[in-house]
Amino acid sequence: MGQLLQFTINGLMAGAIYALIAVGIVSVFKATRVVNFAHGYLIMFGAYFYFTFAVLVPQAAWAPDWLASWQPGWMMDMREGLPMFSPLAAVLDWLANVPRILLGLAGALLCNAALGLVIERTLMRPLMGQSVFAMIMLTVGLISILSGSAQLIWTSDAEFVPSLAPNTPIRFALFGQTIFLFGADLANMVIALLIFAGIVLMVRYTKSGIAIRATAEDQSTAYSMGISVPKVFSRAWVLASTTGAVAGAILATRNGISPALGLFGFSVLAIVLMGGLDSYLGVFLAAMIVGVLEALTQWQLGGEWAGIVPYVAVLVVILIRPHGLFGAKEIERI
Amino acid sequence: MHLKRRQFLATTAAATAGLAAPVTLRAQAREYVIGASLPLTGPFATAGQMVAPALRMFEALVNEDGGIGGVPIRITAEDSGYIPANALANYQRALATEPDMVMYFGDSTGFMKLVAPELRGANARLMGSTSFASELADPAGNPYQYLPGPSYEDQFDILLQQVKDEGGSTVAFIFSNTEFGRDPIAHGRAKAEELGLQVVLEESTREQGADIPTHVTRLAQSGAEYCILQGYVTGVWPQLIGGARQFGLPTRFMGTFWGMENAIADRVTAEAGPILDGYAGVMPYRYFYDPERGPAYERFAAFQKTAFVGTPLENYLPTWGIQALFSLTIGVEALRRVADKGLELTADNAAEALSDLRDWDTGGFFGVPVSMVNNKIGTGRVYRYSAETQLFGPSSDWFTV
Amino acid sequence: MITGNLKTSYGADEQVLDNRWKRLFLFSAVLGLGGIAGFGNDYIILIACQMGIMVIAVTGVNVVIGYTGLMSLGHAGFVAIGAYATVIFHNAAGGIIPDGVLTLVAIPFAVAVAALAGIVVGLPSLRVKGLYLAVATLSANFIILFLIEESFSAPWTGGMNGINTPTPNLLGWALDTRREQFILIAALAVLALLGAQNLFRTRVGRAFIAIRDRDYSAEILGISLYRTKLTSFAISAAYCGLAGALFAYFYARILPEQFELQLSLMLVAAIIVGGMGRMMGPVFGVIIIVMVPEAIKVSFGALAGGGAELAMIRAPLQEIAFGALIVGFLLFEPFGITQIMDRALRALNRWPFARG
Repeated sequence: MGQLLQFTINGLMAGAIYALIAVGIVSVFKATRVVNFAHGYLIMFGAYFYFTFAVLVPQAAWAPDWLASWQPGWMMDMREGLPMFSPLAAVLDWLANVPRILLGLAGALLCNAALGLVIERTLMRPLMGQSVFAMIMLTVGLISILSGSAQLIWTSDAEFVPSLAPNTPIRFALFGQTIFLFGADLANMVIALLIFAGIVLMVRYTKSGIAIRATAEDQSTAYSMGISVPKVFSRAWVLASTTGAVAGAILATRNGISPALGLFGFSVLAIVLMGGLDSYLGVFLAAMIVGVLEALTQWQLGGEWAGIVPYVAVLVVILIRPHGLFGAKEIERI
Repeated sequence: MHLKRRQFLATTAAATAGLAAPVTLRAQAREYVIGASLPLTGPFATAGQMVAPALRMFEALVNEDGGIGGVPIRITAEDSGYIPANALANYQRALATEPDMVMYFGDSTGFMKLVAPELRGANARLMGSTSFASELADPAGNPYQYLPGPSYEDQFDILLQQVKDEGGSTVAFIFSNTEFGRDPIAHGRAKAEELGLQVVLEESTREQGADIPTHVTRLAQSGAEYCILQGYVTGVWPQLIGGARQFGLPTRFMGTFWGMENAIADRVTAEAGPILDGYAGVMPYRYFYDPERGPAYERFAAFQKTAFVGTPLENYLPTWGIQALFSLTIGVEALRRVADKGLELTADNAAEALSDLRDWDTGGFFGVPVSMVNNKIGTGRVYRYSAETQLFGPSSDWFTV
Repeated sequence: MITGNLKTSYGADEQVLDNRWKRLFLFSAVLGLGGIAGFGNDYIILIACQMGIMVIAVTGVNVVIGYTGLMSLGHAGFVAIGAYATVIFHNAAGGIIPDGVLTLVAIPFAVAVAALAGIVVGLPSLRVKGLYLAVATLSANFIILFLIEESFSAPWTGGMNGINTPTPNLLGWALDTRREQFILIAALAVLALLGAQNLFRTRVGRAFIAIRDRDYSAEILGISLYRTKLTSFAISAAYCGLAGALFAYFYARILPEQFELQLSLMLVAAIIVGGMGRMMGPVFGVIIIVMVPEAIKVSFGALAGGGAELAMIRAPLQEIAFGALIVGFLLFEPFGITQIMDRALRALNRWPFARG
């Protein structure tokens, strides 16, 4: 029972990150009717940008020392005599990193937003109104371009990046079983959920959110009502690439940076289709379900089985409900 | 082509000498080619990018010594991205375009297994690699491939023995879901049973971007005293150990050759604190900074000082570079022995010379003379990392399995 | 110059090669292939063999995507099934069926198994299309590879370690060199292309095209969507199974990772570049998709002279070039190279009159 709970919690934490990734795919789809197969690679770029601004820049010769490691006097005092791996030491380690974490996040958000805009303007807009096939394959082509470029820019693989929150271990007993949690993981989950909720609220209540929904409903009507559809497109892409940047930073701290981060995009794509392409609620549920199923599979059957969980889940769901758990059925007129 | 008089005379003299020498029927090659695939991109790019300059150094040093039987060598390296099929394509392309290729250097367990059945007749070449996969040490089925040290299975045997000697009783295996990672697992399981150790966890992970918290949780719940990591190079294993330390797990970690690089350990220590203190593993060779290093290392060091100024290789050669250099040294040694006998440098002749290497002084790669038995060199040593000195130091004597 | 369709019999109208230029093209192509088999050096043979295998697989993809209009990103899975079926059949029936006949049975067996798998994977196409189908087939690719890799199938497939493959043997003629294998591959590739060309002159082939153009209209015309879509998947998978069988014979060992998503994407990219729904599309597409990275490689080899510094940026550049090819053709020439060729041929035909 305790074991089950442990892995369910692990799964929920992974699911929250899936949801954060998925929100980018859904937003772009809602606004532009394009499903971005390359979203995972956008995330990978976010991770590399975070790495650049949180590790490479502070290490540069011209960067001030406090950027690399912030050591005010009171912190040195508190550190005196602390054992190596105590919770307080972990918090202090994190505090010393705060300046570069903030710089890393800011840099990742800005650079990824710019990247999203460039992709939208140069590649996506010329294809407006083309077939689904052309759109999909364009983003598939984008995968190779992005992953090749990342390898050109950040040649070899990079390792540790500072985590967004103090990584203190948390453990408590439940049903006679010790439950282990990482502090940073909990914080990541909270960040992911807050962003997800923020975006859902924004799409529901703000003016630009309503513009996105109107465009999703009917492009030409939205146009005639005075909504600037191209602007909606750009906004959706910026939204997707900035949430992607945060997701990338989280994944980088959790799993390390590597071009393999791009592969997350495919499993999240499966999750998005499972939930229903245009439903935030459905996608959220699907992300959580897959996260938990994956963790449970990892527990019972091992890592190889966990890898195919999203794909099996999506196949099962779309065979029963062709438009996902909560997706709107497309009505085709001849 | 304009030949100066002196050059002309020299060439003529050489040609005459060539005629006078014991008659070799085949036209002597102008240069011998050693092909290589390296993971310059992909998950193991860090390793490949540091090995590439080492190959250039090797080429220069061998040619300084007169190449192979007086014929200079040339090394051509291609990127494989650590994808076996790419490396195979590289090999096939090299076979088709380089008629004087006498040896090939492969970059992964997967490639070596993929290419093994292709090494028949005219397509065969002597082949060293970065892999210590046990299946490759098979002189009967596959005489052309060899290991430049003990196989992963041997390394697991040594580590498990070490666990036993230290009084441990439970051990966990964490390995990447690749051929490289899975290679010694079944054998390790059997060996642990033989030694009376209990394998409490066998966890496979992605080779990069693994889900660290889940794996650490599994390790924590298994309650293993020792954990052997296999199938990683630069990523995953440091994060796993870091995660376990942050959790306060008392597990002692061990690794095989590819997890024993000092530069990576230093990088981890710099970024995450002294989490690697006490980490132990098998490294067949001397580290480059070993105070007792022999003439071979001194020669590399002198070359590196001048040729690689301003790069990480100026004062240090990573274990991966040492392994690649030693692997090539074995191959060239075998080829030289063939050339000295006046035979053609075919793969079969080279394989025969290879199996004749006995009590060979390697010039300081190892602390003892080594022998090529069953296409592998079963000599090595256990090292342990100390966060204080930031070095891997020997924790056992040289042994031969 | 062609000035009209001057045909005097049904026979003439139904000809595949309806003018002498096409006939000339076919004969010179066959002659060219013979030339490669006879005189090409090892390197050319190597590349030509890879291309031949790819052409067969891409023809299969063309059936589903180009002619039937169903999206698929999972065809590497069928190639894998064809390859593994061949090896498993050889290992299982090795002692029972004489060597000379074994290959002749193994290839049809692999094709049949792949076709069967095609029907299973095609099942979602009855309920979903477009994007959903793309993801469903992509998932199928992952799952097929997982099934091959897992330890429960390892006794037959070798699991992650891969498995050694047999040498093809045609009635006592062992094809143990690349040159001999090239003859087999080239012959089968030409047959496969002609087969595809003929397929679309049959009832079922025309039904595919009707579905591509508008599936509901096709249904109203009395075409069973159910049966036709599955047939399309089966035929397409059969082609990929044939390619897989040749793949197994060509390489001495096969690994699951050779059939990953990357291969699926490459197959689809080839058909985009070559031209969807055209017989010669796969040929042109494969030539470009194989030759562009090869050209980058060769030119870098000349520049770098074996040095590693330049070699390091070569692989990323190849990857970028691959993506740029897909994007470029989608943006600027969505009908692929066949369209460019058509335009050029038309201009030639009408020369010196109207061009374009």
